[in-house]
Amino acid sequence: MKKEPVDICIIGSGAGGAPMALELGRAGFKVVVLEKGPHYQPGDFVHDEILNSRRNFFMPLPWEEPHLVRQGPQGRYERSNAAWTANCVGGGTVHMSGYFYRLKPVDFRLRSTLGAIPGTTVADWPISYEELAPFYDVAEAELGVSGEAVPHPFAEPRSGPYPLPPLDVHPIAHEVDRVCGELGWHSLPTARGIISRPYRGRAGCAYCALCGSYGCEMGAKSGTNASLIPAALATGNVELRPLCMARSVEVDEEGRARSVVYLDADGVEQEQPAKVVVVSCTAVESARLLLNSVSNRFPRGLANGSEQVGRNLVFSSFGESRATFRVSKQKAARPWLLNPAPFVNRSVQDFYLMPDERFGFRKGGTLGFMWTHPNPIFAAVGLAGSGTAGVFGKELKERMRAYRDSRILQFEVYGEFLPTPGTSVTVVPEVKDKYDIPVAAITLDRHPMDFAATRFLVERGEEILLRLEPDDVQRVGTSGETTILQHGTCRFGDDPATSVLNRDCRAHEVPNLYVVDGSFMPTAGSVPSTLTIVANSFRVARGLVARMKQGL
Amino acid sequence: MDRRSFLQRLTFFGGGVVLLGSGACKCSSSSEAPSQAESNVDPARLTFTSAEYALVAAACERILPRDEDPGAKDAGVPVYIDRMLRTPELAQMRRDFVQGVAALERRSHRMFQVGFAQAAPAQQDELLAIFKDSPEGSGEAHFYELLLVLTLEGFLGDPSYGGNQAGVGWKLVGFDTVGSIAMAPPEGWDGPKCLHTCGRHP
Ligand SMILES: Cc1cc2nc3c(=O)[nH]c(=O)nc-3n(C[C@H](O)[C@H](O)[C@H](O)COP(=O)(O)OP(=O)(O)OC[C@H]3O[C@@H](n4cnc5c(N)ncnc54)[C@H](O)[C@@H]3O)c2cc1C
Ligand code: SF4
Repeated sequence: MKKEPVDICIIGSGAGGAPMALELGRAGFKVVVLEKGPHYQPGDFVHDEILNSRRNFFMPLPWEEPHLVRQGPQGRYERSNAAWTANCVGGGTVHMSGYFYRLKPVDFRLRSTLGAIPGTTVADWPISYEELAPFYDVAEAELGVSGEAVPHPFAEPRSGPYPLPPLDVHPIAHEVDRVCGELGWHSLPTARGIISRPYRGRAGCAYCALCGSYGCEMGAKSGTNASLIPAALATGNVELRPLCMARSVEVDEEGRARSVVYLDADGVEQEQPAKVVVVSCTAVESARLLLNSVSNRFPRGLANGSEQVGRNLVFSSFGESRATFRVSKQKAARPWLLNPAPFVNRSVQDFYLMPDERFGFRKGGTLGFMWTHPNPIFAAVGLAGSGTAGVFGKELKERMRAYRDSRILQFEVYGEFLPTPGTSVTVVPEVKDKYDIPVAAITLDRHPMDFAATRFLVERGEEILLRLEPDDVQRVGTSGETTILQHGTCRFGDDPATSVLNRDCRAHEVPNLYVVDGSFMPTAGSVPSTLTIVANSFRVARGLVARMKQGL
Repeated sequence: MDRRSFLQRLTFFGGGVVLLGSGACKCSSSSEAPSQAESNVDPARLTFTSAEYALVAAACERILPRDEDPGAKDAGVPVYIDRMLRTPELAQMRRDFVQGVAALERRSHRMFQVGFAQAAPAQQDELLAIFKDSPEGSGEAHFYELLLVLTLEGFLGDPSYGGNQAGVGWKLVGFDTVGSIAMAPPEGWDGPKCLHTCGRHP
């Protein structure tokens, strides 16, 4: 059925979609937000690991809605649930941990800083840090971000303090500060998308420890479900339609976006006409939606005349190590190990960029320190191992008892993931999801420099862990990728031959189509990117509002 | 048939997410006839016949045997597995699991001339180790991984799913977050019900 036309139809209510809904609603335009997932309320978020972390409360099951993933163009596709974030109102911001970083000025001009790196498609951004910075301020204030800026060699300039003071941390954070100081490095408070005090009618964090991979029953986590979406709905101009799965964006004869076709909560096909269509389904899913939106005008997919949609996919490089402190052995000297405070909130960015080529790479990244996740099933599956290295019976129970006597500190590496010609998203027409829509197929073709940098960062992190004098340090990995941080599939740039979007995140080929999730980012920085996605979406929204007010 | 390891060990951001992944369902294209077992399910059970149930109970007790601390049976793990495999979305996993149970039973007869549930603990361990160490992608390895993970879920999950009775699993690993710094689920919380109904897409 054809619905009443609106000014703007936004697809996806997460980090990218919500700021657009809020700003356009505030400006008085009529907005419809289509969201494939349900609209959970804080009371729906219950501390039940099976429900939250192990089934499809947040993320789809891989046999109902798979992503196909393969290693290299010769690899075989595997069905996977990699690269999904939560499918519900608020998207991945609902069950994120909320480690919020800004990019640094150098991230906007990586190509000109590093030069051409063979085997990559690294490009500068068409805008600078200075152009985005005011919108980081807006994003931090609208969402509610807690943190403390301290000077260090790679500190990005800021116009003022964070809107909220930092969260309380576990005493071990001060140990991390001490040993980093001994090493001549800088231990930085990690800003969080969590409010440390009551803020704009929301209650402050209760330090419940079940944060990442859970929804927040307090509304203290600054997911768009708790912050921007309620504010958008309060404008009275925004209609949110949960359980509505967009299938395609339709175009008129001139090749302008005309409407969005979607399946509603009852599985019935609907068509929502709009003057402007905004796509924000995550970088992987937005590319899929555009590639599935074929028409006579765009036979290879919407805005894909230059065959750039889905290319230059960028995730985040991942590495991890863990330090185990045996409580029974150490508690006399370090009674604070027993303190249940959940947050460590420390980062090290001294290796964000290397001074020269000596290391075989120039772009390093960030180390983030945290306690391992308390989820017990998750922990026990790890203790049991797998294959011939796996254990059961007495040995497994011994490991579980040893775990009871442990506190485990870990760091994660957020490393540069260089774009390569081989890493991309396409659609495979033969494989469809439960809605009968062809699914996204991801090819990974990693650049060796990423692994060198990640290994280097893991080694530096281990130096820090060892100085804390734990009973054991264990390396988890140095060559992973975090597929929930996704970017690049609809690059923005000034040249329509090499980018999908212009600097306003409007499609070069479709003048009333915008993409505002991580897709626009030619490079992703070496930090988690959600705050950047939100900031950019505020930037794009303000530009769009200005143009629409002038009747463009 | 693709039976790759079904665990997606996603540890980003200390996120603690280990979803049941791709191979959790072998997704055979043939619409298999329901196994004979399905028609004779023990009336007291949801998934298993009484013989299958006895085997599952014995097997998960070898994964987590009672020693100075409670074991899988004390925690109610067999009840958990029987219930969980009834989840409609896990239908293929149920078929895989029941097939694996039959394979384990056959192997026990072949090696020890008794059913798995009647075999001695050392023999049961030997059988489980064979399945565990089978090549990645084999039906045996797939079944072992299902058994292991469902046992750990039943031992350490919310008690409303039928396992972790009296919180014995949480006591063993020292998990006291829920009910102390994290609010316990509301009175009468029914996790399995929410799995079926909360926010389901059409
Ligand atoms: C467990 C976890 C922890 C994380 N922790 C952090 C962290 O600490 N720091 C950080 O910076 N980032 C973190 N992230 C990443 C963060 O979630 C993403 O960067 C962010 O949500 C991406 O924003 P987005 O707008 O692209 O997508 P999302 O916020 O996920 O929004 C996309 C929305 O679009 C909807 N959608 C998709 N397709 C359709 C369709 N066809 N029709 C209708 N709706 C559709 C989805 O349901 C979803 O709600 C974490 C992610 C996860 C999964
Ligand atoms: S109360 Fe705090 S720690 Fe718990 S989920 Fe909410 S924001 Fe995270």
